[in-house]
Amino acid sequence: MRFSDAATTAYVSLRHAKMRTLLTMLGIVIGIASVILMMSLGSSAENLIVGQINSIGSNNIYIEPGAPEGVGFSESFLDQMSIKTLKAEDAEAIAKDPLVEAASPMIYSTGRVSYGSETKKLMFMGVTASAYVIDNWHAEKGRDIDEADVRSFARVVTLGKKTATDLFGQEDPLGKTMQIKNITFRVIGVMEERGMQIFQNFDEYIYLPLTTAQKLLVGIDHLNAISVKAKTKEAVPQAVDNIRELLRERHNIYNPNGDLSKDDFKVMSQVATANMLTQITGVLTAFLSSIAAIALIVGGIGIMNIMLVSVTERTREIGLRKAVGATTKDIRQQFLLEAVVLTVSGGLAGLVLGIGINYLIYLVLSNVLDIGWNFSLPLAGIILAVGVSTLAGLVFGLYPASQAAKKSPIEALRYE
Amino acid sequence: MLKVVNLFKDYADNENTTRALNDVSCEIKNGEFVSIMGPSGSGKSTLLHILSLFDRPTAGQFLYHDRDVAELTDEELAKIRNKKMGFIFQAFNLLARATVFENVSLPLLYSDIPVGQRAELVIKAIKSVDLEDKIYIEASKLSGGQKQRVAIARALINDPEIIFADEPTGNLDSQSGGAIMEILAKLHRSGRTIVLVTHETYTAEFAERLIKLKDGKIFSDDQVQKRTAEFFK
Repeated sequence: MRFSDAATTAYVSLRHAKMRTLLTMLGIVIGIASVILMMSLGSSAENLIVGQINSIGSNNIYIEPGAPEGVGFSESFLDQMSIKTLKAEDAEAIAKDPLVEAASPMIYSTGRVSYGSETKKLMFMGVTASAYVIDNWHAEKGRDIDEADVRSFARVVTLGKKTATDLFGQEDPLGKTMQIKNITFRVIGVMEERGMQIFQNFDEYIYLPLTTAQKLLVGIDHLNAISVKAKTKEAVPQAVDNIRELLRERHNIYNPNGDLSKDDFKVMSQVATANMLTQITGVLTAFLSSIAAIALIVGGIGIMNIMLVSVTERTREIGLRKAVGATTKDIRQQFLLEAVVLTVSGGLAGLVLGIGINYLIYLVLSNVLDIGWNFSLPLAGIILAVGVSTLAGLVFGLYPASQAAKKSPIEALRYE
Repeated sequence: MLKVVNLFKDYADNENTTRALNDVSCEIKNGEFVSIMGPSGSGKSTLLHILSLFDRPTAGQFLYHDRDVAELTDEELAKIRNKKMGFIFQAFNLLARATVFENVSLPLLYSDIPVGQRAELVIKAIKSVDLEDKIYIEASKLSGGQKQRVAIARALINDPEIIFADEPTGNLDSQSGGAIMEILAKLHRSGRTIVLVTHETYTAEFAERLIKLKDGKIFSDDQVQKRTAEFFK
C-alpha cells in the first residue's frame, strides 16, 4: 500500500469517528499545552529575573552581612539582623582595591514620612556619593547627596520620582522640609525616573546621607550592605576573591581554606546571582515540565486504550481489508498511522493552545500588572512537542497496530 | 484454474482436533459457475476459504494456475486476492460509515493502479450495478439489495478472473436475491469464473455444476440445469 493511501485511509478512519477522535486527542492536547506553557513561562521568568539583575550592571558585586549560601533562609535572615560587623570603613578599604571602581556603603529601613497632611510609611536608604557612581543615577532636579553631607551628618534628602509626586503633588519639593520619624529634613533633589529593578521600585524610596540615617533614624553604626562596582566584567571573579580576603582580614576571620560558611558576610556578584537564579528557574522549569509530561504519558496511554478498543470494534473491517488484498504490514501501517495522526494533531493543537495561553499571560502581566514580562517561545520546546507527540503515536500505537495486523481474515470476518 | 488434490483441513481446539475437510479432490476450470452446497459443518466454507487463499490446507496439494499455493508467501497470496479474486459475503461487509464510492474503491488502495485512474474505474463499477445515483451516499443508508450490489461492484473493481460468493442471498428477500443472482449470471456469461457457496438448493442450481459436501467429503459433483432469475419473480 502506498504511504499516501495509508495516510488517507488513517485520516478517513479517524474522520468517521469524529467525537471519539477529538476526545482521544484531548489527553495529548493538554499534555503538550502544559509542557509548552511550563517551558515558556520558565523561560520568560528566567529572562525577567536575569534581566532585572543585569539591568543594574554586570560589573556589580553585592555584599551583605549574614550567613552565606547553604544556610537556610530563616537562619540567614536572622543572622543578617544580628551580625553587625560590616562597617563603612570596610567599604573604604574595598574601594582601594585595584580591581574596584567604587564601593558604596548603605543602610535601609522604613519609617513614617510626612509632609503637610500627607503621611506615608516609606523605605529610606542611607547612601554616600559613591552610590551614584555605581548606579549611574542622578538627581534630575536639584543635586545628589555628596561627601560633605555625609561628613556633616546633614539632614537632607533626595526623593525618588514617585515619592516626590506622592508627597508634594504638583508642588516643587526642592528646598521644602519634611519629616522622617518626626525629624525634619530638607529636600535637595528629585531623582531621575528609574522604575523597577531587581523587583524594587527605586522611584518610591527616599535617599539621605549614610551617617545621618545611621545615627538619627536607625541608631546603628553598621551597614546593611555594600554595593561594589568592578572596573570590568572580567575582573569580577577576582574582585570577589579579593573582597572576601580583605573582609576576613578586617573581621579577624581565620579561613585559610575559603570555607564560605565561616565568613560573617556574603559576597554575590551579579553574574553569579544571575547564574544561580538561572539554575533555580531551570530546575523549576524542568520539574514543572516533568509534571506536565506525566499528563502526556497519561494521554498516550489513553490513545493506546482507545486504539485497542477501535481494533476490536473494527475486527470485521480488518478481515475485509485482508480479504481484498491488505497484507499484515498494510494493516499494521494503517493503525500505526492512525495513532500518529492522532498524536501529532493533538500535539499541534496543544502547541497552539500552549502558545495562546502563554500569550494571554504575557498580555496580563505586561499590560495589566505592568511587570516587565516578555513573551517567550522556546524553540526547543516546540521541537520537543512535535517530536514527542510523534513518538507517543509510534510508541502507544505499536501494540494496537500489531494486534490488528495479527488478526486472521477468516476469524475477523466471522466476528460479531 | 483451481485444483485441489487430496486436501485435508484440521482445526485444533485445545485437546480436540476437528477434521473439516477429509481427502477432497476437485478442479475448477476457467469460466465455470460452480455451486458448493452442504449442510452446516459439511466443510463448504472451509473449502471456500482455502480456494480463495484465506486459509492453507493441513495436508494435500492446492494448485492455482498450476502453481503450488504452499510455496507462496502470505504477501503473495494477498496480492493474488487483490488482483485476481473478488469476494461477496452474506453480511455484505461494507464499511458502514464510508460512502459507496469509498467502499468500492477499497481494493484499489492495495493495488498498483495509479491514483489518477481510480475514480473512473470506481464510477464505472458502480454504474455496472445500477447505483450511479448513490455514489456519495453512506453505505449504512442503503437497502440490503443495494448493499450487496455495492459489494459486487467492489468485487469487480480490479477486474478479477474469479468471484467467490459466500451465501450472497442469505440476508436478502427473494426479489433482491434474484437480482443478485442475475448479476452473477451476467458476470459468468461475460467469462468470469464464479464459485458460490450456499445452503439454498434453488440458489445453488443457478450454477452449471453442483458440488455437494457432507462430513468434509465430496458427496457428489454433477453438472446441473441452470436456473434463471425467473424463479425469484
